[in-house]
Order: sequence, then structure tokens, then C-alpha cells
Amino acid sequence: MRFLIIGAGVAGTTAAEELRKRDKSADITLVSEEHHPLYSRVLLPHYLKGKIVRERVFLKKESWYTEQNIEWLTGITCKQLDPRNKFVGLSDGRELPYDKLLIATGGEVRAVDEDVRGVSYFRTLDDADHLVQLLSEQGPGSHAGIFGGGFIACEYLNIFSHFQIPTTLFHRGAHFWTRSLLPEAGALMENHLKNHQVELQANTSVTELKGEKELTSVVTTTGEHAVSLLGVGIGIQPDFSWMREAHVETGVGVKANAFLETNVPDVYTAGDIAEFFDPIIERQIQIGNWMNAMSQGRCVAKTMSGEKTEFRLVSSYATNAIGLEIIFVGDVEKAAADHVHLVGSIESGGVTQIFERQGRVVGGVMIGRNQDRKVVTDGIAQKVDFVSLRRQIP
Amino acid sequence: MPKLHIKVDPDLCIGAASCVTIAPETFQLNEENKAYVLDHGLEPTPRSYERIVEVTEEEKENMILAAQSCPTLAIFIFDEAGVQLFPEL
Repeated sequence: MRFLIIGAGVAGTTAAEELRKRDKSADITLVSEEHHPLYSRVLLPHYLKGKIVRERVFLKKESWYTEQNIEWLTGITCKQLDPRNKFVGLSDGRELPYDKLLIATGGEVRAVDEDVRGVSYFRTLDDADHLVQLLSEQGPGSHAGIFGGGFIACEYLNIFSHFQIPTTLFHRGAHFWTRSLLPEAGALMENHLKNHQVELQANTSVTELKGEKELTSVVTTTGEHAVSLLGVGIGIQPDFSWMREAHVETGVGVKANAFLETNVPDVYTAGDIAEFFDPIIERQIQIGNWMNAMSQGRCVAKTMSGEKTEFRLVSSYATNAIGLEIIFVGDVEKAAADHVHLVGSIESGGVTQIFERQGRVVGGVMIGRNQDRKVVTDGIAQKVDFVSLRRQIP
Repeated sequence: MPKLHIKVDPDLCIGAASCVTIAPETFQLNEENKAYVLDHGLEPTPRSYERIVEVTEEEKENMILAAQSCPTLAIFIFDEAGVQLFPEL
């Protein structure tokens, strides 16, 4: 049996590990765009803030791949898929045959059009190393910008706050996470950030970067702002071209059923790139977080090795923005919900949003209300209605 | 049955809840959104970030799986002799 895995992040690597546990003699090949052994992206903020040393971000040693008899190809991407003859074409010109193929390529960061020294992205270890360097070059009088209103913007807020760099945040919507948050939750965040000396520019896009050798300012739809450092977190944009050419069905991600099987026989998907049918929230959804990616890697390996296994998990994502705790659980897309109920208030310092669809709870957002997490998570798993759930929240 | 010393570093924990998903009998989140350690679903007082728990081989494997799933490697597991089982040194 030849298992071929494109993408060596946590989804792909966990799948390789699980496949090896289940099949000692199979050929397993793991194709990695990056040159590093598996590391935790979630640990990168800790590394940046000096909470841990750089080597602690690694979850596998280089020798692990050989020990597991996993062929590990680095610095390589996939360019072509021929599902009829069952082989892929790689960026180094090689063609590799497969019996079962897993697409676990994650997402590329969406970039701004220009590139000047001083612009930072935050997805890979190389990005983090670059940011460490940029941070070390900041002196008195430095001013940082952030472009984006999502999870990566929160990481930049915490990093710049840690290094006490005055910060202006530009986001395109009226508030953070416009697809998920109600105005009250947006206002709660805004108040909190303003209280922590963050300057906020809502409904604003960065349109131009200025600076010859190094960034000196950004031009936005509302004016020009002097910044020496700009953190960009405006979403991910996966490369679907080779998949689409092979007629693998895609939407916001690679479409899959609850077993993480795509529409093409013997082609599977897992991790941030998967848009899978979630049997708990009962719709196809793309979810980008560590727990989801790791669990999908483990689950899809079972199915690929013959034990067909449905993927079931109430996914969650937890972060904080300069001390304000933020938790997303389940399906938190306003457009996909029939009602979004609000619990708590701005005045009390915490709000919880409960997302309801077809008479049952499918998601929750907690901002400054950690205590509701368990009730909401259990409510989603048990498919309870809002009224029953509300009774359990003091 | 072997005993394990299980410890969460609250400074590294970010409340991703991977451990709660995999081993809810051993880990739950507190109001600060940090994982604390239980003994087979029970919370012998006081609530604590570390605890010595008697486990079966199967439970031990699952606890190590929970620790491996933590994206910030905030869970440390030691055996009775104090040898660190995870993260591997």
C-alpha cells in the first residue's frame, strides 16, 4: 500500500504517524513545503514573547521521520494530480504514484500587494523568526500597525503590547470578526482595546505601503499613518489550482463528507484545508484550528487504512486580546444561523453569543465569559434548543 | 496500578481544550480558561494544576495522548520515580 500525504503540518504528520501505527509495512510519503520538522504554530507567540526557547516549538525531531520509516520530502509542493492514473506531479519535477492520497495543505496567508521590509505575516516558524528580527530593530519612537480583525490580529496585539510598542489597528469591518460577532460583542472588544491604549481604525483598508528600504508609513482609506512595523492578518488563501484541474470539488476548502473523503475516489482531506460535513452541526464547514487538524489527521488515517471512521468533534478556538478572553465553539457564522442570542452585557464586561439553527444550538462565542464554555460546548454536542441551554446559564 | 504525576503549566496553557476533549476525566478548564487536573472525574480539594493519579495502562496511554495533543505542550507527565514521560526530553 502506498500512502501519499501532501502537507506536513499537524494534520498530515498526525495522519502519517497513525498510518504507521496501523500498517508497519506500507510506503508512507509526506510532502512538506517547509524545511522544518513538525512544530507547533500555537507555540510561536510564546516563542516570540520569550516564554519558551525556539527549540521548544518542535514536536518532532528530524530523526523521527527515518525512525518511523516515513519518507519525508521537504521544500516541495504539489503541482498536479492525475486521479485516473493515480499519481501526483511535484514542484521538483518528480512524479509519485499513490494508492491513497491525503490533501492536508492548510492555507497560504493572504498578502498585501507590496512588500517592504517591516511587513510581517504570522503563520510559519520562518515568519516568527522574521518578526523576532524586526522586533529587535525597533527603538524608541517606533509605532506598529496591524492590518486585520481576527485571530492573527489578536496575536499581534499581544506581542506588540508585550514589547510596549504603541499600536494602531486597521480593520476592514465595523469591528472584529464581522462574520461572527454582534455589534455588542464588537463594542466590548473595542472598549477593551481602547482602554489598553490601542488606536482603532474601523472600516479601514491598507492601500499602500511607504518607505524606500524600510517601512515608514501606511496609507489607508482614511489617511496616512507613520509605522515602522506592520503585522498583517487578513485571512488565508489556499492554492486550489491543481486540485480543481483534477476535478476535486472545492468551495472555501476541499469539499469532503463526514469521513473526510473527497468526491474523487481514494483522495482524502484533513486540517485547515478541509470543508467537511460536520455531523454535529449538520452542515459542511471549514475550521482552522490545531485540535481540529490533529483529530482529523488521526481520524482520516483510520479510514484510509480500512477502518471507515466518521469525524466527530465540537471544535473550539480560544485566544485573548490583551487579557480579554475570547472563545469560539462550533459553528459561529452569523449568516448560517437562524438566530444569534446575546447573554451578558458590555457593562458587565462579558458577552456570550449563542447561535441557533433549526431549533437547536450550533455555536457559541464567549468574550470575557469563560464560565459559559462548558455548557455551550455540551449543548452543541447534545443538540439542545436555546431555551434549555439558557436555563443552565446563570 | 502505576501512579502518574500530572502537571499543567498554567503559564503555557491557552485553553485550547484538546486535553479536555481527549481525557475529560483528567482535565477540565477553570474560570481562567486553564486546564486543571482531576482524579477520575473527581476534584479532590483544593482544585489543582497538578496531581498524582493511579491509572490503568489504558488510562495512562490516553493521558499521554492528551498531553501530546496539547498545542502548547503545557502538560507534563512523570512516573512514580519522577522520570518525565512527556514531553520527551
